[in-house]
Amino acid sequence: MENIETKLREEAKRLLLEKKADVIIGYEKGTLPLTATPCFITTPEEADKLVWNNLCTQNLAKFVHDLITAHKNSQKRVKPEDRKKKVVGIVARGCTTRSLIIHLQERQYERDEVCIIGVPCDGYVDGKGLKVKIGGADIVEGTIDGGQIKMKTSDGDKTVALKDVLAECCLTCRFNNPIVSDVLIGSPSPAMNPDAEYNAVKEFEAKSMEERWAYFTKEMEKCMRCNACRQTCPSCYCPTCFVEQSQPQWVGIGEDKSDTQVFQLMRMYHMVGRCVDCGSCVSVCPMGVDLRKFLKKIDKDGWEMFGNRAGSSMEDMPPLGRYDEHHDKEEFIFNP
Amino acid sequence: MARRKFATLKSFLNYIGVEGDRTLFTWVSASEGDRWAQVIKVATEKIKALGPAKKMIKKIG
Repeated sequence: MENIETKLREEAKRLLLEKKADVIIGYEKGTLPLTATPCFITTPEEADKLVWNNLCTQNLAKFVHDLITAHKNSQKRVKPEDRKKKVVGIVARGCTTRSLIIHLQERQYERDEVCIIGVPCDGYVDGKGLKVKIGGADIVEGTIDGGQIKMKTSDGDKTVALKDVLAECCLTCRFNNPIVSDVLIGSPSPAMNPDAEYNAVKEFEAKSMEERWAYFTKEMEKCMRCNACRQTCPSCYCPTCFVEQSQPQWVGIGEDKSDTQVFQLMRMYHMVGRCVDCGSCVSVCPMGVDLRKFLKKIDKDGWEMFGNRAGSSMEDMPPLGRYDEHHDKEEFIFNP
Repeated sequence: MARRKFATLKSFLNYIGVEGDRTLFTWVSASEGDRWAQVIKVATEKIKALGPAKKMIKKIG
């Protein structure tokens, strides 16, 4: 990991010096122990802040979209011939590149507006899972070394194996290496366990309808509508979200159970062919709602019905934007 | 594509435990009056058999 970090800093410095990127989005050490936080590097000197380890959680593709959109809006009042292009560099793992591909497929920006620094990934630590594992103790200091997390906590010294606290989505990840990149750092990581990726979904599908509904309502009762999942999701970039629209008002803003259910149902349903299973929504959720159980079904449907895995190739079309006459199933069509 | 949207919506509603049978999707041309009547007749029968929806209902007032 250290080696990748050094190379990453060198690359970032080079890209900024050669003016191939105006800003580089990466991760820096977080303010709390055992965390990493997104950072924006604009000068070569700052590049030494960059880190790359198993604590880099959030999908940074969200910020690429935010920055480019903000820049384009700021250029609206500039004469067309004087408009400048901003190139955003990004430190991207497999799922981040998938999100970038989705943005490119959806024509959000051009390929030359983003400079992808690909890094191999071997999963990130699920912060909430780690906290549970150490019995809720506060972490004072911590290091990751050779597959072990060593911590000084309020409850004494503790050691946890890294593979026991990896996020659920990482354990069954199929795309842990960048799919597209301008600069690739390090050698590809070994594959995770993608064959097991739909096991939880299949198990849930086998339950009865009432059991499934009971689980859905139980999970949605936890949700307090903070919209953190939407804010962090790279595929949620509408200028006005349906949640905030008042004419027409698609979903109530109150605490009614049905409003929460409709909000979550609609947000998840908008992810058909767009959810890359990066786990950002799950990791930011303050209430620990099991969003992945439902989002993974959408991924599974996309694969089984249309043979599409979101953002898995630059050549793909979004599955809801096309139709396959010979292979699409028709049993859902109502034919009395 | 509408048909793909309906296929996934129906499947997803079923998955979260809402009766997906309430989602009906078909094609009827403006010139197919008989078929239109038939579709509505069967759809009404189906919905009546399912009874009133009890899930995702908001009580106002």
